[in-house]
Amino acid sequence: MIEFIEGNDAVVRGAIDAGCRFFAGYPITPASSILVSMMRELPPVGGIAIQGEDEMASIGMCIGAAMTGLKAMTATSGPGVSLYSENVGLAIMGETPLVIVNVQRQGPSTGSATKGADGDILFMRWVTSGGFPMIILSPENVQDCYTLTVAAFNFAERYRAPVFLASQREVGLTREAFNYEHAWAEAPTPLPRPVAAPDCVYEPHACPTPDHVSPMSPIGGPHLVRYTTSTHDQRAYLTGDPDVIEHMTNHYRRKILDHAEEMGIYEYDPQRGADTLIIAYGVCARSARGAVKMVREKGGKVSLLVLKTIYPMQRRVIKEAVAEVSRVVVPEMNMGQYVWEIRAMAPGKDTIAINRMSTTLISPEEIIAKGGLL
Amino acid sequence: MSVPDFDLSTVGVGVAQESCSQANSSSYLLPEMLPFGFCSGCGHIKIAGYLDEALRRLELPKNKVVLVTDIGCIGIVDKYYDVNAFHGLHGRVITYASGIKLANPDLTVIAIMGDGGAGIGGAHLLSAARRNLGITLIVANNFNYGMTGGQHSCTTPLDAVTSTTPHGNLEAPLDLVRTLQPSKPAFLARTHVFAEGQVDMLVEAIQTPGFALVDMWDLCIAYVGSRLALNKSAIEGMMDELDMPAGVLYRGTRPEYSAAWRALYDEKGARTPPCLLQVTGGSVLDHKVGIILAGGAGQKIRSAATLVGTAAIMSGLKATQKDDYPITVRTGHSVSEVIVSPDDIYFTGIEDPDITVILAADGLAQVARRLTKCSPDARIYVDEALADSVQTPGRVVPLPFAQTAKRVGKLTIAPVAIGAVLAREGLFPVHIFEAAARAMQKEAVAESTIAGVRAGLELG
Ligand SMILES: Cc1ncc(C[n+]2csc(CCOP(=O)(O)OP(=O)(O)O)c2C)c(N)n1
Ligand code: SF4
Ligand SMILES: [Mg+2]
Repeated sequence: MIEFIEGNDAVVRGAIDAGCRFFAGYPITPASSILVSMMRELPPVGGIAIQGEDEMASIGMCIGAAMTGLKAMTATSGPGVSLYSENVGLAIMGETPLVIVNVQRQGPSTGSATKGADGDILFMRWVTSGGFPMIILSPENVQDCYTLTVAAFNFAERYRAPVFLASQREVGLTREAFNYEHAWAEAPTPLPRPVAAPDCVYEPHACPTPDHVSPMSPIGGPHLVRYTTSTHDQRAYLTGDPDVIEHMTNHYRRKILDHAEEMGIYEYDPQRGADTLIIAYGVCARSARGAVKMVREKGGKVSLLVLKTIYPMQRRVIKEAVAEVSRVVVPEMNMGQYVWEIRAMAPGKDTIAINRMSTTLISPEEIIAKGGLL
Repeated sequence: MSVPDFDLSTVGVGVAQESCSQANSSSYLLPEMLPFGFCSGCGHIKIAGYLDEALRRLELPKNKVVLVTDIGCIGIVDKYYDVNAFHGLHGRVITYASGIKLANPDLTVIAIMGDGGAGIGGAHLLSAARRNLGITLIVANNFNYGMTGGQHSCTTPLDAVTSTTPHGNLEAPLDLVRTLQPSKPAFLARTHVFAEGQVDMLVEAIQTPGFALVDMWDLCIAYVGSRLALNKSAIEGMMDELDMPAGVLYRGTRPEYSAAWRALYDEKGARTPPCLLQVTGGSVLDHKVGIILAGGAGQKIRSAATLVGTAAIMSGLKATQKDDYPITVRTGHSVSEVIVSPDDIYFTGIEDPDITVILAADGLAQVARRLTKCSPDARIYVDEALADSVQTPGRVVPLPFAQTAKRVGKLTIAPVAIGAVLAREGLFPVHIFEAAARAMQKEAVAESTIAGVRAGLELG
């Protein structure tokens, strides 16, 4: 079964198949089509969709609905992420599963509404005050938009955390053949929300060990549920006890970082004897694949690591891949962001950043030329 | 969940005796959390008591009540209650309450915020009232930001001295009730902490299916309340002076939003069926071809491009499509880029188009830069009226697209041009393009597309 659809349409299909039953969003190019489709597609499957009065309302409604038991999603672009910032912090603090689609556009500020970029990578990583790990997945094509949306819901539910889908205009609004059978085969099985047993003594943030994530109980269900934006203990009561606070802050960190490899989605394509590795994500991964094909066809050697999970960082595979080469090429549609993460993990290697923020794509030829690949 | 009875009088919660006597269910307050952490004499203590009393009268199951609190001193109030509690960000209390109510309309959702929260979250107040979403909002309106040190708020009286209005307040206080009333929500009331009958008011507000506001004038003993020497008569004097009377000031009859939403969408909603494509094969194309359709608003460029991509996929090729048009969609350019290829398409940009179709001056302007740099074997199919404006080393093919389309029918210029291109370029069989039109478009539209393509074939 094949459809000719845009990345944003595939996000909607993935969300519905993942069990998303609440959506709130505020119109913004190039993310609006997700809101518009959700308004039509979600109600017939028993879900709720609403246009919020602004981005703060949209994400706030999602958080409320998520705590009431529904899988929730919102979608926006850079200016909206700015307005989400404080509530992303709330979702971290309250351990709320939530999928946030950021169809990036050229910034800063209003920027170029109809043009793509990957300028929000570190913005999403450090989106809120306090500084806690984020989960960020980056699709490169229409199939990924489906698969990674399903994965984003699973990670959100499994780790009780907000998850970003770092799409961008060049992926979200590019139409391609979408193959349902491939999508169903590739996507993980949607994870039902783990819920606390009705007869247990429910503690909303129970974590005997810092990395432990406990099941939720919906507001209105068998337990009384507490939720708070303030620094709190495992029962969600405000606390000033430094030992408790330390345990909880470790919890928010370690429940993500200790499980980083469980969230690893990447494709590593090493070539024996290659001295150069391209590390790419998002739409640049497509150009990187093009470059690799051209180089190999001409007898050159190059390895490729495509990261779909950009955070938490896939340290093991990145280290392994980097160890095999002396040069690492990182193309990005921004002024150089993820390359700093790679540089920190590739001491002594020649790390080449290929950056473009002119609203046009980085081409395979540009990667080959600037990366010195042939 | 069983909670021991709790005697309010021992913690000095000011609840009128009459209303207490009507209650016979157990308290909704948690004895182990008391006494309240508010300053002694703070009006929030009274509000907390009135709410407990209202809940006792209503005898609602505790797990079906959600208390959603804002930031500020009033924001800590949820922790004293034995109900579901959601303490959110400053000013956003209504947004969480809205999500909760929309997700589970069976819940009784009570939101409490300060005047500070009402100010910073004003847009949400307006929207909740306009939607008439079934939440009860209590504004603990103490005319200043208590928690942060008595700064002025949106309800601070004129001339009042606060820490941020050291020489007197110049901003007129907001009338919350009158601000919301034109939206005709279900229930709008004003009272104050020293008055009587607040519990009745709260009971009615909570029982009202739609949006209910209780603007509860309050006392911050630590700051502006002391400065203004607020007590029963002072607050009543202020109400008179500002013409903001107490009482239930409005009762509306509009349907409650979450119920109305469900009724409407249940009746009308149906999923859009997917537009599945039959891949029949039939293309003999052996290389990647980048095509740009450059036209103007209203020429149906985008849907024509989608048909090209669709037909390519049906004929066994890969295809990508990207559209570019100004935010003001009904004017200016409309440019679509389609790549068709027998192989996977990695790079979706078209720097050196193989085929460019120019149907309007606005579209030409968008692609002019690329055409000046394209290769000599690029083909540029251009409406004959625009041919002279094309500057390119490529091969320009002027054809009477507009004139032909005029003869064939409305909105056929793009199909006409595609017909001409297919005749010369043979990307995929024409009958597959026609099948694509039938698969994607309504019957009448498909027929006119097909008529256009056939006329275009003759131009080729
Ligand atoms: C976004 C944001 N800005 C500022 C603050 C700081 N802040 C905490 S409480 C408060 C004012 C609260 O005043 P009000 O809502 O009237 O409650 P009160 O303390 O008077 O009960 C402010 C501004 C905050 N928590 N969040
Ligand atoms: S500062 Fe004001 S509002 Fe806060 S507890 Fe004290 S009296 Fe009440
Ligand atoms: Mg106040």
